[in-house]
Amino acid sequence: MAAIRGIELSKSFRHFQVLNRVSFEVKEGECYALFGPNGAGKTTLLRILATLHRPTSGRFEISGYDGLREKMKVRESFFLISHGSYLYDDLSVLENIRFAIGLRGGNPTHPEIKRALDRVGIGAFASLKSRHLSAGMKKRLSIAKAMLVRPKVLLLDEAYASLDERGVDMMNLYIREVTQEGTTVFITAHDRAKAAEVAQRAGVLNRGELRELAISELLTAHALF
Amino acid sequence: MHFFNVIRWIAWKDLLSELRSRENISSMFFFALIVILIFSFSFSLDPKTSKELMPGIIWIAFGFTGIIGLGKSFLAEVHNDCMEYFQIVPAPKGAIYLGKFVGNALFMLIVEIILFPMFILFFNLDVLEKIPMILLIFVAATIGLSALGTLFSALTVQIRAREVMFPILLLPLAVPIFIGAVEATRGVFSGDPLPLYLDWIKLLIVFDAIFMVVSFWVFEFILDY
Amino acid sequence: MVVSRLIAKLQRYEGWFGVAAGLLIMVGLYMGLVTSSPDYYQGEVVRIMYIHVPAAQSAMFAYTVLFGGSLWYLWKRDPVVDNVSHAAAGIGIFFTLIALITGSIWAKPTWNTWWTWDPRLISFAIMLLILVGYLMLRTFLEDKEKEATYAAILAIVGFIDLPIIHFSVEWWRTLHQPLSISTRGVAIARDMLIPLLLMSIGFYLLFAYMLMVRTQMLYLQHLLEAKRGRMLSKVHL
Repeated sequence: MAAIRGIELSKSFRHFQVLNRVSFEVKEGECYALFGPNGAGKTTLLRILATLHRPTSGRFEISGYDGLREKMKVRESFFLISHGSYLYDDLSVLENIRFAIGLRGGNPTHPEIKRALDRVGIGAFASLKSRHLSAGMKKRLSIAKAMLVRPKVLLLDEAYASLDERGVDMMNLYIREVTQEGTTVFITAHDRAKAAEVAQRAGVLNRGELRELAISELLTAHALF
Repeated sequence: MHFFNVIRWIAWKDLLSELRSRENISSMFFFALIVILIFSFSFSLDPKTSKELMPGIIWIAFGFTGIIGLGKSFLAEVHNDCMEYFQIVPAPKGAIYLGKFVGNALFMLIVEIILFPMFILFFNLDVLEKIPMILLIFVAATIGLSALGTLFSALTVQIRAREVMFPILLLPLAVPIFIGAVEATRGVFSGDPLPLYLDWIKLLIVFDAIFMVVSFWVFEFILDY
Repeated sequence: MVVSRLIAKLQRYEGWFGVAAGLLIMVGLYMGLVTSSPDYYQGEVVRIMYIHVPAAQSAMFAYTVLFGGSLWYLWKRDPVVDNVSHAAAGIGIFFTLIALITGSIWAKPTWNTWWTWDPRLISFAIMLLILVGYLMLRTFLEDKEKEATYAAILAIVGFIDLPIIHFSVEWWRTLHQPLSISTRGVAIARDMLIPLLLMSIGFYLLFAYMLMVRTQMLYLQHLLEAKRGRMLSKVHL
């Protein structure tokens, strides 16, 4: 069964058409990696899947729910890690997590949060105000949130951005673990070698059009675009 | 119960942030203080004319204060892209609106309650025994102003030139609140019997009700596509 | 998409609307300015009514179209409906300005002031502010869908607010200086009614004609931008 399905998705902003009839499918428990030059529309595609942008035309499904008509169901099934950290500067790490999960209707216990924070390596900073966190730590914090939410579909924008080497390995470990549990992961990335470690399928988005890739091509091709 | 939990979480977050930074309330307070000072220089008020002008001065001060505070309300949400999280979180958007509204109305009310003694002090107002009625007017007008202000704050926060657009959109629509509040306050100050200005308070309450409902309904379209 | 087809059909007949509007307005102006009798109280001054009243009616009608279009857009998300609302707002400003200016000119000889805190005047002034704010808001948004949605929200909230504004100002006025000036209850003679009616219908038709043309323009502009965007995405990078 397809966990994510895009059908003829197009998106244009005022002076620029970003996506041109993009269609693709990601199966349940699969990790799909999306590559492409800067400005190719990777983030736009991901943001459409995350119900942040309305596609100009076309439609999409997440976990079998229609992205335009069953938004609430779609939103219950995915979790997005994006450029924005969604943190409030004056709240502590712990409070930020409880707030973010609380809005989703969850109520994680203190030990649960602590365990997630320990796993991403920022357990020591639980009571620190989030304004003092570095970009990498904020990213780790987002991963901890995802661990607590346990979504059916995980959307990662620039999956490895601002993470250090150990952070990248931790991310890959986490992706491998959740895909084995049946979670579908959709990432955009630039680091081909790292993405190839976890991805089962890949695609290149260029000039608004999507081309499917074999994983072997990821490692051998001289230039993807 | 998710609905009420979301309201609680949002209001909790705003109040806690404010308690720690005191950014909103202090900037509103000092701004209003300056407005009062300028007014007291601009008009050399004897007790008789002050009774005539006071309601207008008070509500101009509170109105500007509201613009400062309400305009900043959603600024905290765009800082780390938290507006995005509001959009994709599976929570009723109306509840998010109400949560923000509760915080905004409380901040404005707190500032008004701190400022009012200063008006009494600076302008020698003799209104001590009418304070319950005045409080009622403050609450009724503040609810209306916050209801509209929260809506327009969210509407303008993501656009260019938001500092200009916010008052441009808010003030014309808030005309009935200002008329109602000024007239009711004038009635109290000049010692009129209640039936003479009760209609204005009723007008404020009707306005509150209409705009709470309308904003609650349209807010979904702001935070969503 | 039903609307798109309806508009395509209407646009085939837009010329007729223009011609009919022109004829009615010309006949109405001739009758109003030349053949109709002057008012018993106001004399020749009353003739500005033949422009003022129809302009005010068309302005209100424009805002009603804007309101309906905005609701419809939020419901169906048809971009053409958004073009209609966008067009109605711009034309609404045009008619509101005519109504305000002619009203002001009319007020000078009759009420001896250019401006008075009359509920209708204030409502119209605020309506003008809302419409200008509406167009400003639109220019500040990048995302087409977001632009249409936010603009629709503003139009709806503003439309609901207008009667409240009118009511509160009217109330406020009667409290402070009881209405000394009223245009209500003025009986209109037959030979004044006919040109007024002609002008009203003429202005409505003019509005409809302008709306069709402007909607078409906005729609084509939209297509052009989309096309340029597609070309740009081929050239760029």
